[in-house]
Amino acid sequence: MIRFEKVSVTYPGQGRPALDDISVDIEKGEFVFLVGSSGSGKSTFLYLVLRELRATQGRVYVAGREVNRLASWKIPRHRRQIGTVFQDFRLLQNKTVAENVAFALQVIGKPRAQIAELVPQTLDLVGLDGKADRMPDELSGGEQQRVAIARAFVNRPQILIADEPTGNLDPSTSVGIMKLLDRINRTGTTVLMSTHDNSIVDQMRKRVIELENGHLVRDQAQGAYGFQN
Amino acid sequence: MQLRYVFTELGQGLRRNVSMHLAVVLTLFVSLTLVGVGVLLKQQADIADRQFGSQVEITVYLCNETDVAPCDGGVTPEQKAAIEAAIDDSPETSGFREESKQDAFDKTLALAESNGDTRLLEGDDAAVTVEDFNESLWISLNDPEKSEGVVSAVANLPGVLRISDQRELLEPVFDVLDAAQWAALGTAVVLVLAALLLVGNTIRLAAFARRKEIGIMRLVGASTLYIALPFLLEALVTALIGVVLAGGALAALLRFVVHDRAADTLRFMPWVDGSDYAVALLVIAVLGPLLTVLPTLLLTRKYLKV
Repeated sequence: MIRFEKVSVTYPGQGRPALDDISVDIEKGEFVFLVGSSGSGKSTFLYLVLRELRATQGRVYVAGREVNRLASWKIPRHRRQIGTVFQDFRLLQNKTVAENVAFALQVIGKPRAQIAELVPQTLDLVGLDGKADRMPDELSGGEQQRVAIARAFVNRPQILIADEPTGNLDPSTSVGIMKLLDRINRTGTTVLMSTHDNSIVDQMRKRVIELENGHLVRDQAQGAYGFQN
Repeated sequence: MQLRYVFTELGQGLRRNVSMHLAVVLTLFVSLTLVGVGVLLKQQADIADRQFGSQVEITVYLCNETDVAPCDGGVTPEQKAAIEAAIDDSPETSGFREESKQDAFDKTLALAESNGDTRLLEGDDAAVTVEDFNESLWISLNDPEKSEGVVSAVANLPGVLRISDQRELLEPVFDVLDAAQWAALGTAVVLVLAALLLVGNTIRLAAFARRKEIGIMRLVGASTLYIALPFLLEALVTALIGVVLAGGALAALLRFVVHDRAADTLRFMPWVDGSDYAVALLVIAVLGPLLTVLPTLLLTRKYLKV
């Protein structure tokens, strides 16, 4: 589903590459943690998948396509296969929960009937049924992140990218979010999640890719945070 | 594509940034009006040129018995023949006609009659008689712009009192029209520049105000056109309002200044009319949207980069 072949990224004006000669293969339906300290290259890794960035060297394949060579007009279609969740939720404060989720479908031109069907379904899936008409500021952090996940998943993407989704949440709320991501993963969606939260990584026992100063230092099935086994 | 969203965004965008849009509309209104005025002045100059340019003649007044220097008594038949030969030989002329003393007197009398006072010209003790008038040769030019050759060929011939070039009389009119046209277009250029900068700032502000929405739209895979469409429509709406206002101002100018005043006072001159207005309107109707949509396209590429 996601394949990196000898990928390097050097930002303009910086000598040291943000990612250096990374080769990784992530299969369809996998759940992968991307760990590493700040500045290790996790965000660069995610941006490459989204094609927010282009690799300086090497090839990045997503869903069989080499994204480096995508024409710019094809990028929107590429991103429709990927749902994205951030640490800071990024909800539109002037829209209700349902409108926030519907927004993702509206702007890619989905028919109204389909939106009317998918939005309540997805809100139900993330455990927000009955809160469709609430405004984001009436919700807890965990609930807001659920809205963000609903928005990322409502178009049923093949890949879900979560950039530190529990970074702003307390441990018990984080567990709820992880259970939700696991449920989404079980529908066949590939989940790629960057995190600092070692207790989550330890408990989930999923594949761990660790980056350090742009280098791949670990790629371990059923790993734990840090070198624990 | 869900146009409902685009139009909702358009309405919100226009309301959110109303003072900025107003500034763009007003600047566009004034600059487009000036462009329109420039176009109309250009057409007015062309009309005047067509009307008078073809009629411009050069008049050679011949010496009378009573004239002093450069004359030395009345023109002799030989002198007159030499002057006529010089006119015929000039490549700039297409012919000439003679006006006798009597013709000149009759013209003056007709003018005096139209003014209702012929006392100086009539009666036994008339102050001015036929003999006081000069014979003259009225030369038609091939090109009204080119008269220097024939003027210099004839000017110093004996028997010539003076040469009058009607173009010199009309020159100030053309000069004023020219200057007004360039002043209008020059000011319009400065204002157009101001309008462009304002459009740029408006887009930057709007893109900043909507950066979160735009960010989400890009992430979920909205097309660039879809993201840019509300901006483009906003640009188009402000341009159309500017064009309508400028069109109205030009129509008012044509009606109240040209038709009601100038055309009434200066009847000898044909004036710009509805068809000229249509041309000016077409120019601003094309220019207005270009002025807002083009910078929007360029800047949305910059600010909304996918």
